[in-house]
Amino acid sequence: MTVIQEQQVVSRRGGWGDGLRRMWRGEGAYLAMLLPLLIFVAAIAIYPLLFSFRISLFKYRLTDPNQMQTFVGLDNYWRAFQDPIVLTSLRVTLIYVAGTVLVEMVLGLALALLLASEGRMIRGTRALLLLPMALPPLVVGLVWKSLYNADFGVIPYYLKQLGVDVGRGPLAELGWAMPAVILIDVWQWTPLLMIIFLAGLKSLPIEPYEAAFADGATRWQRFIHITLPLLKPTLLVALLLRTMQSFKVFDVIYATTGGGPGSATTVLNFHIYTVGMTFFDMGYAAALANVLLVIIAILSALYIVILERQQL
Amino acid sequence: MMQKRSKLEQTLLTALTILVVVFFMLPVFWLVTTSFKFGREAFAIPPKWLFFEFTWRNYTEVLETTKIGLFLTNSLIVSAGATILSLVLGVPAGYAIARSSSRVLNMSAYFFLLLLMVPPVAMLIPFYLIMRDLRLLGSYASLIILDTVFDAAFVVWMMRSYFADVPKEIEEAALVDGASRFAAFWRVALPLSIPGVVAAALYVIIFSWNDFLFALMLTSPATKTIPLGILASFSAVEISWGRMAVMCLFAIVPALIISLFLNRYFIQGVTMGATKG
Repeated sequence: MTVIQEQQVVSRRGGWGDGLRRMWRGEGAYLAMLLPLLIFVAAIAIYPLLFSFRISLFKYRLTDPNQMQTFVGLDNYWRAFQDPIVLTSLRVTLIYVAGTVLVEMVLGLALALLLASEGRMIRGTRALLLLPMALPPLVVGLVWKSLYNADFGVIPYYLKQLGVDVGRGPLAELGWAMPAVILIDVWQWTPLLMIIFLAGLKSLPIEPYEAAFADGATRWQRFIHITLPLLKPTLLVALLLRTMQSFKVFDVIYATTGGGPGSATTVLNFHIYTVGMTFFDMGYAAALANVLLVIIAILSALYIVILERQQL
Repeated sequence: MMQKRSKLEQTLLTALTILVVVFFMLPVFWLVTTSFKFGREAFAIPPKWLFFEFTWRNYTEVLETTKIGLFLTNSLIVSAGATILSLVLGVPAGYAIARSSSRVLNMSAYFFLLLLMVPPVAMLIPFYLIMRDLRLLGSYASLIILDTVFDAAFVVWMMRSYFADVPKEIEEAALVDGASRFAAFWRVALPLSIPGVVAAALYVIIFSWNDFLFALMLTSPATKTIPLGILASFSAVEISWGRMAVMCLFAIVPALIISLFLNRYFIQGVTMGATKG
């Protein structure tokens, strides 16, 4: 009320300076606080993305001595949909994303339930589990690469003790490489889901549990009929968040398999990098990157819709 | 929840917890011990987990033969630059979005969330070409501003939900007393929100310190950050795991500090950044 009166007082004085002052006192101040970032983002993010769309319409190889840019319309996009490597890498990406996200969701929830109670030991344990996700993914990749090493790696050694021979090591065998890189991702990112689920568990109301307890429901029944349904929004948000992150995997693949053996672990993200930065086929790489961008944008839109609905 | 757990169950759960800790800590433990091992012991089969000959040699060798100091300095410059820039740009923006009554401004939060989701590789190709044309490849600036796009988007998103939880009443009182909206932010809301800013800052430090893909394309030998430095210090022919372990340990110092000593903020960052609408 007082604010409104004050604004009226200011507006009665009129004039240019007062107009600005009023702006600054009202909503204009908020716009002014947002503006520097908007300008920055427009220049550093939006412009490059538009530029990327432009390049994707051209045939443009950086290795070309004349730096020729030939307009080819949507040819790069057509090429993408017919390129067998792209189709393979899409399949590889889907397997990677589905594998990592599924395992991490289940394990993350199990961890959250296991470590939900309060107590010094439990809290200490939770803190320790934060470490993997704070580590540089490249370092994580290097460490696991040496753990997987065929000659002196710890993992093949113990597998051999168990009677499983992985030949040239998990990262170099066709059937093993994908599960091996998925395990690295699971190691690094399961704790993230644990944290998100822990926060979700903590916000659950207590009444349904009391009612269920009075009815003599078993712990399992309570989990299935109360916890899971109530946790659904959190589960959805976490699922989408990890799905999007998993689509973007790069560092670990670069450090461990380099996309191999063959193209067994060449995820789309890695393939785009190879096309752009190894073959310098910029137009085509930009087109591929834009396809990935659209996939992620659709997922993001879903994520936002769900977040928004959760608020209501 | 309310039923008492039996003794057997309690023991099983404890055993399971220990198993979990071992699984998540073993690679880190391996990294630490390898950094103190001589070459032959790092390669020993069966692996020596606890009993091995202790040596500092890997450390002295890394300090003498690699440019670890340069890599760490570069990482520090880039992380500090990106952190400061993204906080300066992002915190007021997050506040504005949280407090504004304009629907357009409120919805712009989702624009930043979308931005946060953009696959880095989609930005990288055009950005690389633009930086090349501006002759900025290999500069700190190119890496800092590209990191800042994603970092600032995260800061906005996180600070928005943080400020939304800060009660408005004190700021409104300040406004009535004649303070400008900016003063209300700077003198009232911001001091109340320091824990949130710290949490956001820690995240941004980790993001930019850990970044590999952007640094891979945008740095020159003089501006290589630590992940790049690790790769550059070892050719495919000659790999000393002991020395690599030492460099990796230097690379994970911020992660260690933050997850072991500042984990309260860290957890807050996850829950605020990921799940709060």
